[in-house]
Amino acid sequence: MALSIWQSMQQKGYSRRDFLQFCTAAAVMAGLDRSAGAQVASVFEKKEKPAVVWMHFQECTCCSESFIRASHPIVVDALLDVMSLNYTETLMAASGFQAEKSLNDTIQNNKGKYIVLVEGAVPTGADGVYCMIGGKTAESILQTVAKDAAAVVAWGSCASNGCVQAAKPNPTGATPIHKLINKPVINVPGCPPIADVMMAVVTHLLVLGQIPALDSLGRPKEFYGRRVHDTCYRRPNYDAGLFVESFDDENARKGYCLYKMGCRGPVTYNACSVTKWNEGTSYPIQSGHGCIGCSEEGFWDNGPFYQHLASFPGFGIESTADTIGIDVGVATLAGVAAHAVVTNIRKQKVIAEVHAEEHTQVPAGK
Amino acid sequence: MTASRINARTAPAAVFPPLAEHPVEYRRVYVWELPVRVYHWINAVTLVLLCISGYIIGAPIRAFYAAEAYQQYWFGWVRFIHFVCAFVYVFNFAARIYWGFNSNKYARWNAFFPLTRAQRQEMVDVFKADVLQTKLHGPISTGHNAVAGFVYFFTFLAFVAQTITGFALYSSMSNSWLPRMFTWIVPLMGGEASVRSWHHLLLWFFVSFIIIHIYLAFYHDYIEGRGTISSIVGGWKFEREKQDD
Amino acid sequence: MARIVVDPVTRIEGHLRIEAVVENGIITDAFSAGTMVRGLEKILIGRDPRDAWAITERVCGVCTTVHALASVRAVEDAIGISVPPTAELIRNIMMSTLYVHDHVVHFYHLHALDWVDIVNALKADPKKAAELAGSFSKWDKNTPAYFAAVQEKIKAFAASGLGIFANGYWGHPAYKLPPEVNLIAVAHYLDALEWQKDIVKIHAVFGGKNPHPNYLVGGVPCSIDVDEVAAINSERLNLVASLISQADEFINQVYIPDVLAVASFYKDWAKWGGGLKNYLSYGEYPTRGYSQVDSFKFARGVILNRDFSKVHPVNPRDSQEIKEYIAHSWYDYEGGDAAGLHPWAGETKLNYSGPKPPFESLAGYEKYSFLKTPRWKDQPMETGPLARLLVSYAAGHADVKESVGAVLGKLNVPLEAVFSTLGRTAARAIDAELAMGWLKEFFAELMGRVKTRETSTFNGEKWEPKTWPTECEGVGLVEAPRGSLAHWIKIKNGKIDNYQLVVPTTWNGSPRDAKQQRSSFEESLIGTPVAKLDEPVEILRTIHSFDPCLACSVH
Ligand code: HEM
Ligand code: HEM
Ligand code: NFV
Ligand code: SF4
Ligand code: SF4
Ligand code: F3S
Ligand SMILES: [Mg+2]
Repeated sequence: MALSIWQSMQQKGYSRRDFLQFCTAAAVMAGLDRSAGAQVASVFEKKEKPAVVWMHFQECTCCSESFIRASHPIVVDALLDVMSLNYTETLMAASGFQAEKSLNDTIQNNKGKYIVLVEGAVPTGADGVYCMIGGKTAESILQTVAKDAAAVVAWGSCASNGCVQAAKPNPTGATPIHKLINKPVINVPGCPPIADVMMAVVTHLLVLGQIPALDSLGRPKEFYGRRVHDTCYRRPNYDAGLFVESFDDENARKGYCLYKMGCRGPVTYNACSVTKWNEGTSYPIQSGHGCIGCSEEGFWDNGPFYQHLASFPGFGIESTADTIGIDVGVATLAGVAAHAVVTNIRKQKVIAEVHAEEHTQVPAGK
Repeated sequence: MTASRINARTAPAAVFPPLAEHPVEYRRVYVWELPVRVYHWINAVTLVLLCISGYIIGAPIRAFYAAEAYQQYWFGWVRFIHFVCAFVYVFNFAARIYWGFNSNKYARWNAFFPLTRAQRQEMVDVFKADVLQTKLHGPISTGHNAVAGFVYFFTFLAFVAQTITGFALYSSMSNSWLPRMFTWIVPLMGGEASVRSWHHLLLWFFVSFIIIHIYLAFYHDYIEGRGTISSIVGGWKFEREKQDD
Repeated sequence: MARIVVDPVTRIEGHLRIEAVVENGIITDAFSAGTMVRGLEKILIGRDPRDAWAITERVCGVCTTVHALASVRAVEDAIGISVPPTAELIRNIMMSTLYVHDHVVHFYHLHALDWVDIVNALKADPKKAAELAGSFSKWDKNTPAYFAAVQEKIKAFAASGLGIFANGYWGHPAYKLPPEVNLIAVAHYLDALEWQKDIVKIHAVFGGKNPHPNYLVGGVPCSIDVDEVAAINSERLNLVASLISQADEFINQVYIPDVLAVASFYKDWAKWGGGLKNYLSYGEYPTRGYSQVDSFKFARGVILNRDFSKVHPVNPRDSQEIKEYIAHSWYDYEGGDAAGLHPWAGETKLNYSGPKPPFESLAGYEKYSFLKTPRWKDQPMETGPLARLLVSYAAGHADVKESVGAVLGKLNVPLEAVFSTLGRTAARAIDAELAMGWLKEFFAELMGRVKTRETSTFNGEKWEPKTWPTECEGVGLVEAPRGSLAHWIKIKNGKIDNYQLVVPTTWNGSPRDAKQQRSSFEESLIGTPVAKLDEPVEILRTIHSFDPCLACSVH
């Protein structure tokens, strides 16, 4: 049986007064007026710890790994207090049939109330055999768990846009989950997403009891509303035209902008430059490497990562809009020059005629 | 229209009589009205600036590395120039579209499409005379010839594409209504990285257009000798009077 | 005779299915199947070799960084450059940090619940637990109040349905720990979960983030300059120093004592799970450059048939040594199912031929896994902490010998005891302890270089693809937490022409080969008793002792 938040606080020895204080704090956090505290208290009192299942499909588990790096709250507190995480292949005690039972029971007992967190893409090639769990395809499992879910979250770039396995030529037909289920999906892209962002999305759902405001791609605006570039601390160097020209050069040590090293910050929506990684320790750019755009759809196919513009497919390595364009420009110039030469040869007569028209008049009044 | 044109195909000898025997007579025709000329030069200047600034945005030059970030803003200014030109250029272009429905026949919208048989025939002739040069004399239109008109149409399409991709990119740095109208383009094109790539690639279309276009302006002026270049400044072209007039 | 199926095998990385045949309570045959594939080897083709580290890093988020390292080493080998010593040191620091992190997380969060009965911990006396813990560890936190608080937490949690601990095999007769040891382990399970998020900040300092920090062909992306605010400066170095000392305490006062305490109750597990008798290690931690294999902290080599008098050299370039087979894997080779291919000539052509899902069993199917089957001179190999300790032990590495000896002494067991499930788990603890020591060493050395300003971190000589030969090939070897990892690359006109990964868990978890020789997972299960067919905790113990990573193994 799941306990309400109040019940679980009672068991930890908190008094009702503590609880009201906690609710008021939560209400203030939620942007409510202090007097609204009482109203929130009743909501929390009734609320059981929500049932959550975490599915694993075509993934590298770095989303799970990232999640356990959360610092506020730490994952222990989230697992013990915020939610009842009944299924996650990475951490759960049960295996095999017992694991399947945990999943089935959660679905049966919480119809319409449980939250589904999905890590990984779903392969649709060859009838789904490229990812099977317990003899069932990932695709069929996804359909089963999503059907009665209260909300579905797509963790990471895999679940929200396909990520690495969906890069060309996508040998297994890896597909992001929003393309497979008829439910709104909260997309939390990133490879992986930032731990505290993941935790914040979970608490936004479970503690605030709300779906965060989403953009047109289903991403929480809270974290994906701005480009890495918009809040990057190296931005003044960008505007001043101060760029790193080579790794570990003098400019690199001064922390100049990594744009010319291929930084994808200007085309990438993520919270890295504000929220940062690992409890605010750093983010890729701070450590001297450009952003590779890991939260953007199709970012693997926007490489090579060390040149500002993506290669155009079919034009060879390092072929960007510029290399192609310069070729076109040069060809144009050459064509024009050739045309001019040919014209002077072939149209001698016409040119002579024009030059001979000495006695021209302009009739007045026309 | 045909009346004001010399049919070089059928009567070259009559039109270009032997030297000094029959002086050629010219008539002044007011082809490019002021709005077209103003449009043209605003367009030319902003487009050149957009190409230069855009190229620098894509591949910044190494410059001013001696100064600190707080002392300068040159790259910001390049971007600023790009954005200012972008706005001027777009509104200028919009005005030209409006003018396409009010102008004289030379600059009218239908001059940009080979809608009539005559126009299509003219395209063939222009191709033979100016590209293959298998014919000495091409048709000499008063406005743009049918090929030029149609090429401008594609150029206008490129203007539109560049405007859309440009404003889509700009929408992430602006809250004003015009760029905001283009936000949806970004996901449609698969993210900002690919929008940028296309926006950048189109730069080279314009570069090529400008090279060919300016060359052809000189070419026609040189071959035809009737003030093609000055027409886009003053508006007037010269047209040969028909001999039998 | 019964055939038991465990799928999903949880508390591992990825999608593993074990089918075991049990006769009279003993496992007589076993099948290990990897059931997820992504085809990354195909995705890599045609891309910029300098990007391969990022793509292959996404093979796995648990052993994040190891594929990145294998990849940059492979490319550097192909184009013929070496990295500056400072960059090598930073790579060593990243790697030893991973060892320490990965092994702790494996022990507490992926393995412990096979040995530790959480529910039974509720019966413990917190005071006794504190006394007991005090007897083998000097950790300040181990007080009665601390253990009481943890017990309360778990009690409340148990009442609310147990969440991730639900439906475990609690109360199974195979659980042997007294309640107090269970409680200590549970308490440290929670602490380790909190601690692990800190040590990886070392990756964030040098690589920007964890999981999946940044690497770079030719060095590392970070710059060091103690006169600059935006580079790795004294503040960053202090952060790393304090994380290292925090980790040192956790390893030596919590992890190692806990492993020994738990192990001392499960000595019978020194009888089972030994499996193969061949051990492979590529060696790791270059101290005088990656090309100087004799400078490595862990030795490179192979031991055959547990004969420690001879360490066989390993040559990854020799087309006759390492080969991959697909006799029982869902792939096609142009040369047919019996062929073995050296990775430079490797092929990745998916061809699923198992039962149509949903299915109950893989019995009767010739091919049953997405893992290919690697062999060294046609021999199956065990790889991982145990293997690399044994290879280094046999090669006479003093620090390894000393650590192994100390643990054997503390547990009071002979060397033979390590050829087992228990031995593998103990070996991982020794591995972590060694890595912890070396991490401190590497960092001290880095500080020395900072002092003398020898801090170049990037060799850009051959950065531009146009400086490369039109065709070249390379191999990058890494001794990853789970064992021997290598990437083979072929480059043509500046682009990847072929790319093959042979990964630790591919060695250990693969299906049998064309000669029907089993690989480690399968072989080590043979002979293990299973007390309750519907709660096969014994299978989990042995399989978990390898720390399987299926995303790695298939990729
Ligand atoms: C029509 C001629 C134009 C040309 C040739 C042109 C060219 C370029 C080029 C080459 C870039 C650099 C792209 C890169 O490498 O990342 C660029 C950037 C950009 N352009 Fe244009 N552009 C044109 C018009 C426009 C218009 C109409 C807009 C609308 C606002 C616009 C907005 C932008 C923006 C926002 C950027 C990105 C600047 C930054 O983030 O710093 N452009 N342009
Ligand atoms: C550099 C950028 C330039 C651009 C983008 C440009 C673009 C255009 C466009 C779009 C038109 C069609 C005008 C209309 O009907 O709306 C046009 C016409 C014309 N342009 Fe330009 N122009 C440029 C420079 C020049 C220069 C430097 C010259 C003279 C040397 C020139 C000479 C003309 C002439 C003579 C026409 C008349 C059209 C015709 O006869 O077909 N242009 N130009
Ligand atoms: N097997 C494996 Fe890895 C490791 N250690 C990789 O090389 O875990 Ni994901
Ligand atoms: S999004 Fe990236 S980090 Fe997350 S599972 Fe996919 S590959 Fe791994
Ligand atoms: S480093 Fe990248 S994100 Fe930061 S300012 Fe430069 S281009 Fe933008
Ligand atoms: S690579 Fe990813 S982690 Fe952030 S800085 Fe770029 S979005
Ligand atoms: Mg492989």
